[in-house]
Amino acid sequence: MKGVSRLWITVIALFSFLCVILLTPTFMGDKLPSWWGKVFSSKGISLGLDLEGGIFLLLGVETEEGVEQEMLIVEESLVSKFRQNRILVKNSSVSDGTLTIGLFPGADMDKALEVARDEFEKVANISSDGFLVRLSIKPSYVDELERNSIERVRHIIENRVKDFGLVEPSIQKSGEDRILVQVPGASKKDRQRIVNLIKKTAVLEFKIVRAAGASQENLLAAAEAGTKRQLAEKGLVIHEGDTGNENEKFFLTDRLASVTGEYISDARITFDNYGNPAVGFTFRGEGASKFGKLTEANIGERLAIVLDGVIKSAPTIQDKITYQGTITGTFTTEEAKDLALILRSGSLPVPVRVEQERTVGPSLGQDSIEKGRFSMIVGGILVLVFMVFFYRMQGVVANAALVLNILFIMGFLSAFGVTLTLPGIAGLVLTLGMAVDGNIIIFERIKEELMAGKTAVHSIETGYARSVWTILDANVTTLLTALILFWLGTGPVKGFAATLSIGIVSTVFSNLIVARVFTNMLYRDKNLTEVSI
Amino acid sequence: MRIIGKLSYDFVDKMGGAMRISIALVVISIASLLYHQGPNWGVEFTGGTEIHIKLAKSLETEVLKGALAENGFPSESVQRFGLPGDNEHLIQFAPELATFDQIGDFQKKLEDLFATSENFEGASIQRIDYIGPRVGKELITKALLSILIACVGILAYLVFRFEFGFAVGAVIALLHDTLITVGAISLADKEFTLAIVAALLTVIGYSVNDTIVIFDRIRENMGNFPEKGFRELVNDGISQTLSRTLLTAITVFIVLLPLFFLGGSVIHDFAFTLMVGVVIGTYSSIFVASAFVVYWRKRKAAG
Repeated sequence: MKGVSRLWITVIALFSFLCVILLTPTFMGDKLPSWWGKVFSSKGISLGLDLEGGIFLLLGVETEEGVEQEMLIVEESLVSKFRQNRILVKNSSVSDGTLTIGLFPGADMDKALEVARDEFEKVANISSDGFLVRLSIKPSYVDELERNSIERVRHIIENRVKDFGLVEPSIQKSGEDRILVQVPGASKKDRQRIVNLIKKTAVLEFKIVRAAGASQENLLAAAEAGTKRQLAEKGLVIHEGDTGNENEKFFLTDRLASVTGEYISDARITFDNYGNPAVGFTFRGEGASKFGKLTEANIGERLAIVLDGVIKSAPTIQDKITYQGTITGTFTTEEAKDLALILRSGSLPVPVRVEQERTVGPSLGQDSIEKGRFSMIVGGILVLVFMVFFYRMQGVVANAALVLNILFIMGFLSAFGVTLTLPGIAGLVLTLGMAVDGNIIIFERIKEELMAGKTAVHSIETGYARSVWTILDANVTTLLTALILFWLGTGPVKGFAATLSIGIVSTVFSNLIVARVFTNMLYRDKNLTEVSI
Repeated sequence: MRIIGKLSYDFVDKMGGAMRISIALVVISIASLLYHQGPNWGVEFTGGTEIHIKLAKSLETEVLKGALAENGFPSESVQRFGLPGDNEHLIQFAPELATFDQIGDFQKKLEDLFATSENFEGASIQRIDYIGPRVGKELITKALLSILIACVGILAYLVFRFEFGFAVGAVIALLHDTLITVGAISLADKEFTLAIVAALLTVIGYSVNDTIVIFDRIRENMGNFPEKGFRELVNDGISQTLSRTLLTAITVFIVLLPLFFLGGSVIHDFAFTLMVGVVIGTYSSIFVASAFVVYWRKRKAAG
């Protein structure tokens, strides 16, 4: 029998020590001494929401909206450029990422194309057809816009959720155009607030009120327009009002806002003269001067404060205002607090929609964890007993290797920051099944050799040697599958593949190295005549 | 101790009969899937709202469904979840019944109903899921795609390590096991949830692992005893690994039993799937995967 390799014993001892340190936070929880965090990582294995309870939201980002908005900006800027160059614009429209500008017959087409190319050659393909100038947005620019808007949305949502003061929320990009928000431990009660916080686009605009009324028809008549389209051509728009006044359910205002919320530097909850909750905000730099100009020119007029297309209040401008303003309206304290938070974090560049939501009560989480843990412990003990019953001393060796294997897997899960979910546990079950299988393969082979009349030493040697390729083949195939699933899979499939990949590597190590070293330690005697198996 | 001593049993002789059993099981699985109009997809896949409730007393699913409908909550399906004594049910509602923004109201209304109705006394909502219709379809196609590519990967590795016939045999066995396990879930009228998908992946892993160990022994015998006929080599390989095959299956089963009976509702269905998969996977390693290799060799020798 080969001597016990000191190298491997050292490696096994080192790994075990490392994993114990990595796992201490998981098992100690709050009881961790304070110096621990300074020396080692204090982050243990995090449990997925399906085990712990909390809120899980999958948000779809409507990136197409961003493209549409971008084209509207292009439209506005190009039409005004044409006017500056005395090119007569008849009409313009945007649809499906293409801007079409119609010019009056006799317009200088060469000049128009030159202006358009100067400004937008990088972002759009420019063509002409009679007296039409067409700009279709380039796919590469669309990609860039979409990537930008997702990153900005993610960042803003992260700010909002963190500002709300929740413990360890996780906000990640998921796939091409989705954002995954996970808030562990959040209760069902928090749910609606968190969702509102996340979903609110929060585009704040300030516009001068032209008229107000109880119905849209009145306002259309007042503007001498038959339809909303005609209204838009006059540069006007109708907004719904939420000011609490029955006679002012709708407002007629300018279509484009003179000042928007993008210049807000700070927002907080305040109270109006009647003691009702309101939101105070502060402008910075350019915003302050724009707001000053707008209010100065319109003293005596009403200023509409529009949030996501709905007018929250429309106070009369008493004096020039520059830096500070207040949004009053029908808010509860909670709503005002949340609105201030949202305004501070900025508005979402494009809308998001909720595609998936899961609210798991901590009760279920706790219950399923306890039951699941209990049943797994029972299952584990049964296997340990079975192995000793069946394989005697070799069973003890197998058990020691199995326990170390579990320790290694958990340690590595913790080190790689893998979140443990139910599919992840499925991966672990498969791994441990294969670990036990590896031992059984080896032991059965040893028994076979013994039955064939070989010596004990020879049987152990051959048993291990002949099983190496079997175990490797089985595990490499599984590892390969796990890696493919990890690479292609999403959500649950990925979680399964992650624990499986880590588990397989550790299992092969524990089958072929750890169990072997332990067996050698057990049978140091070179003239061994009997194996307890 | 050995559960099976030295044994030489003519497995190959029984493969024809086993094929009939396999075909019958596959037909039953497909028939059940057709009868139930496909798997009973969980809300993760169909989109809509699903609530998981725990009742204080036992209630027939039909009664529960009726009581919900009477009170203005027409459900798409009501299913028992976990063991009978748990009194837990999964209730699915159509996506139109409550859009995402209305879930808060929806939940409140349900809780009001629980507080006032006799049938629901002491009932509590354990979990609410809302899933938009787009995600579900993507989830199915992506999961299927990744499994298919994983099959190709397994095929490629086994062609590299063994022979083409072995590789095809292993993949056929894998598909056989997956289909029959899905059929069993359908027959038991269990909901096809994400936990079940995870369990199916585990079954696939188990099936391939189990098959490879037998193949490995057959290949080893091919090298050691080139004078023996292929039929005999396969019989020897299966016989020599039989005690390992059974012991591993028994050990895994021992772990699954407590999960099945004590693990709680979610783990219960998960363990059920694995139990079916382990039995089928063990059977198929011998009677599907190895059988195919014998058939393939015979054809190669003939042609």
